[in-house]
Amino acid sequence: MHAITLDNLCKTYPGGKQAVKEVSLSLSPGEVFGFLGPNGAGKTTAVKLLNGILSPTAGSCLVYGIDPAREPEKVHAISGVMTEHAQMYDHLTGMQNLIFYASLFGIRKEEGAARAASLLSSLELTDAKDQKLAAYSTGMRQRLSLARAFIHHPKVLFLDEPTSGLDPESIMNVNRLIQGLAKKDGVTVFLCTHQLRYAQEICTRYGLIEDGRLLASGTLKELREQILPGMTLRVRADSVPAESAFRQTGERQYERDIRSEDEIPAIIRRIVEAGGNIYAAGSEQPSLEQIYFALTAKGKEAPQ
Amino acid sequence: MNYAMLALIKKDFGGITSNRRLMLPVVLVPLILTVLLPSVFLLAIRFAPEDPDILKMLELLPAKMRSDSVTQTAAGMILNYIMPAFFLMIPIMTSSIMAAGSFVGEKEKHTLETLLCCPLTLRQIFCAKVFASFLLSMFASLLSFLVMILVLGLESFFLMGTLLLPGANWILVILLISPAISLIAITLIVKGSAKAQSVEESQQSAVFLILPVILLVAGQFSGLMLLRFPILLIVGILCALLAWVLLKKAMKRFTYELLLK
Repeated sequence: MHAITLDNLCKTYPGGKQAVKEVSLSLSPGEVFGFLGPNGAGKTTAVKLLNGILSPTAGSCLVYGIDPAREPEKVHAISGVMTEHAQMYDHLTGMQNLIFYASLFGIRKEEGAARAASLLSSLELTDAKDQKLAAYSTGMRQRLSLARAFIHHPKVLFLDEPTSGLDPESIMNVNRLIQGLAKKDGVTVFLCTHQLRYAQEICTRYGLIEDGRLLASGTLKELREQILPGMTLRVRADSVPAESAFRQTGERQYERDIRSEDEIPAIIRRIVEAGGNIYAAGSEQPSLEQIYFALTAKGKEAPQ
Repeated sequence: MNYAMLALIKKDFGGITSNRRLMLPVVLVPLILTVLLPSVFLLAIRFAPEDPDILKMLELLPAKMRSDSVTQTAAGMILNYIMPAFFLMIPIMTSSIMAAGSFVGEKEKHTLETLLCCPLTLRQIFCAKVFASFLLSMFASLLSFLVMILVLGLESFFLMGTLLLPGANWILVILLISPAISLIAITLIVKGSAKAQSVEESQQSAVFLILPVILLVAGQFSGLMLLRFPILLIVGILCALLAWVLLKKAMKRFTYELLLK
């Protein structure tokens, strides 16, 4: 069974704005899926649809076979949700907040406190556990929200910009935690972000969305093959043959596009045979960011 | 009522008791209405010279509503006819404050979305929140009533040498009208919660309930319509019916999309 399925999912708001347009995709258990796109692309709307907070205008979605539009509470029981607008109570301490949210999932106080203590420790919030939330910084609030989303050991995690406002060390910590949950416990992670470099670090599969439409989805390898096949060869040399298709990018810096690594030995050999001295050479595959921009540029070029 | 709903009710109670700005009127207004105000009335009756106009008015009362002395009759009038009208402001105010904090406050502080992602049905969340507001209102009303009876009992005993006891009217006020009017106030707040963006804004809907109460108070003082038992019973039944209808309607409007609008 798929953990998450979206089938031609559409959402049009009462004002007429089409936030999600015929999005179809499916996620297997244990995947860390990056739902990527700029602000206002429809990522948060998709999360709300998957949680039953919004109802689809057309199409459907399922979370472990449960329709969130019909039985939202059943989806909530197996999901952890962290979004920008899902805040906690300022008048309670970090620990009290977690115990309260645990109790909403039917977890008794003692068990809730034990789980909260373990999560607070993992997210380096133990020292602040008895401080009221009003005294927490943005980063601390963000980490506590993650702890809240994890407290009931969900099978699916919906994370909307989970690392915004976090320092690099905390980001590493959070990534480790999310990846651990996915690998060890088989938790499916639906991660929405506009930070493509961050997504490339943590996700196993991606969906690129713009203006409510899913532009492409797949693993990084699949996306490269679909959108930007080939790679870039960069060499540092004192000269390259004029006909070798290299572009000069700086002093003694040259680059050219190649289809595969198999072409590299012949190209290098030609430079050496032409009397060029090579100081360094390396190939680079397109990043997620490059793929995304290539994809959106294609969309803009395409006739409307 | 399951464990999660009880946790939600407990949290809502904690939310209001930890908020000094909200707690102040919940404590202060009942004290003024049930201790200060009746005490002033009693002192006025005891020490004011016998006004011929008041004496004339008291003579117009039905025989069974009159006591041995003018002061006792007037004190009985204050406790059993004037005070119930004032008293109704307590459940209206407490339930409005609690419901506004519980429904609109959550929206204002962006905690509602988190709450809606828990495995409780919308109906369960609605019931837990209405119950929390209702419970606080009933607790405040009952406590205020007991304090009022105790204070007035002691004052009447020492000032007039007689023990002032509440009449049958109070049974209706405490057991029927206060609960019904609390629920009406809560449903009005819930109804307005979709549009209201702040707690203060949502509390304004309670004004519509305070207005008829002010008219009732005016009616008692002017003698236009005395709150006798049958009238109170009719008012109570009508309020209970209205509360039931409004509660049903509010529950229907309680949807995710409307709540997070």
